[in-house]
Amino acid sequence: MISLANYFQIFSKGIVLFILLFYLNEIYAAEGGPCKDYGECDKFQYSLNDIESLQRGASTYINYCYGCHSLKYSRWGRVAKDLQIPEDIFFENLVFDKSIKPGDLMVGAMPEDSANWFGVEPPDLTLVSRYKGDDWIYSYLRAYYEDSSKQYGVNNLVYPGTAMPNVLMSLQGNQRLVCKDVPVLARNGGEKRDDFGNTIFKEKCGFLEVQDGTGILSREEFDTLIYDLTNFLVYVGEPSKATRERIGWYVVFYFLIFTALSSLLYREYHKDYNK
Amino acid sequence: MTEIAGKLFTWINTRLPIVNTFERHLSKHPVPSKVNFWYLFGALAAVTLIIQVVTGIWLIMPYSNTEEQAFSSIEYIMRDVDYGWIIRYMHTTGASLFFAVVYLHMFRGLLYGSYQKPKELVWIFGCTIYLAMMAEGFLGYVLPYGQMSYWGAQVIISLFGAIPYIGESLELWVRGDYYISGITVSRFFALHVVALPLVLIALVFLHLVALHEVGAGNPEGVDIEEHLDEDGVPLDSVPFFPYKVLNALVAIGVFMTVFSIIMFFFPEGGGYFIEMANFQEANPLVTPDHIAPVWYYAPFYTMLRAIPDPLGGLIVMASAVAIFFIVPWLDRSKVASIRYKGIYSKIAITMFGVSFLTLGYLGTVGVTEVRKTMSVICTIIYFAYFLLMPIYTKYETTQEVPERL
Repeated sequence: MISLANYFQIFSKGIVLFILLFYLNEIYAAEGGPCKDYGECDKFQYSLNDIESLQRGASTYINYCYGCHSLKYSRWGRVAKDLQIPEDIFFENLVFDKSIKPGDLMVGAMPEDSANWFGVEPPDLTLVSRYKGDDWIYSYLRAYYEDSSKQYGVNNLVYPGTAMPNVLMSLQGNQRLVCKDVPVLARNGGEKRDDFGNTIFKEKCGFLEVQDGTGILSREEFDTLIYDLTNFLVYVGEPSKATRERIGWYVVFYFLIFTALSSLLYREYHKDYNK
Repeated sequence: MTEIAGKLFTWINTRLPIVNTFERHLSKHPVPSKVNFWYLFGALAAVTLIIQVVTGIWLIMPYSNTEEQAFSSIEYIMRDVDYGWIIRYMHTTGASLFFAVVYLHMFRGLLYGSYQKPKELVWIFGCTIYLAMMAEGFLGYVLPYGQMSYWGAQVIISLFGAIPYIGESLELWVRGDYYISGITVSRFFALHVVALPLVLIALVFLHLVALHEVGAGNPEGVDIEEHLDEDGVPLDSVPFFPYKVLNALVAIGVFMTVFSIIMFFFPEGGGYFIEMANFQEANPLVTPDHIAPVWYYAPFYTMLRAIPDPLGGLIVMASAVAIFFIVPWLDRSKVASIRYKGIYSKIAITMFGVSFLTLGYLGTVGVTEVRKTMSVICTIIYFAYFLLMPIYTKYETTQEVPERL
């Protein structure tokens, strides 16, 4: 005979199974990521101890981005100091407005009516790496393509309809969306072949490809440029990040020792009443 | 010299019960000799409260509670104030871990019947602390005045508007303006740094005084007061100092290790401790794609969303918190600990735990049809755990509780 308790157990097991199935479904039903049409964002691994990368990134930022995008929570002198650029060299080469002092905020060089130029005011980018994420920036800046239907002749896979023109086009060259013949994959993941053993191809679109000879930089050089720029934005988003991660090890180590010592002491006292 | 100090101490002690209080509540206070790790979260909550108060005081100094400067003053703390980032991250990490620790502490209470007679008041003070914490956490979240601060506050304050008759005026009264503005920020600041901390500390004091009056519990649910030695001290107890203190010290070591790993390496907690959208300054004209509360409110937010009607949602959400207060009278079991309760209680608390976690998960993701159904199911389980408690605890077969620990 089945008791009430048995029914209850069966019922609750059913519910737990249902919840498990729900979680399985959640794992498989992946939502569209932040990189939109680009698919998965490219992974970005910052290296805040690579000072040269940060210096190159700062230089690219100031030359290509700062004209429109301020870094209004960051100070000139702090950037020079953190990036180990002597202040005189820094101000000589990277600060164009000579009235600026090291303690000044990087409030940008845009006139008031800039919103009229692009439809929106170019946002401040001090914290862009924190609200968009470094993967997003790294993918976004490399995902522009030619699209004559847009105001500036370009569109972006990561941010469709972006208001920003491709400022770095002279460096990157003209990137276009192209279609390619790709091998058809069988269910087991291998390439599908026809009866004569030849791989079957199918046309697939949406690939980004730079027109040869249109850019100053090679693909690798351009990727490095964007890497450095993104790295700089990660730094500017949180200037104390490198310090944080460095001293974090000491603090964690300290508490591990603290835990070890206090548990030895605890064990010693524990003997008193646990004979 | 020592003689003078001794005299001075005696002089004070005859006027202020220092030695008496110290012995009664610390050095000689008897605590059960055998408890498990679940009994350490109370001490950790106290540690976190102290961290929050101290870091909070230092954050007040450079913070600016105006609409124009609130957001930038946080960045000022993060960049220009020496080690300001440590203080701020301690406060944000502390807030999340305070809730984590308190949730575990509350779950311990449900597991081992820490609310049963005569500990009803300890439990009720505890529930009130939780309520005050929820308010405190919400108010604090608005202060950085980021996008999520603004829109989170918008959602929560508009809940008041769902109350019939007085709703709209109440909403206006809380907000102090027709929309969220600097006025809202500065009043929330006052409440966050003065009013609610006072309430919290007073409640923690009452929670502890009541606890020391009735004595701490243990995972067996044994009443240690039944067996006393010739001095009237329970046989199954050890003095609070040094035994309990050392036990807590180990727990604090482990806790602070976890705390520092989060704070130094993952301060945003993957977007759960500090939400990414909150790095954008509040903008009344742009709604974020997806408004999600911080993780510790997520279960209740899911319940709010599960009910299509705003007033209904508000009632369900409020009841979900309020129902904790009456747990001492819902549990009709003869035994306190889950170890000796019957199968129904064991299943019920497992289901409750699973549904609470699932509700939490659901509160942090967007809404789909499947998730909506899931939220309703989990909300029902959540309430069933409490509402059916008088029945399943009364009619299940319990095991014999041992005499001694």
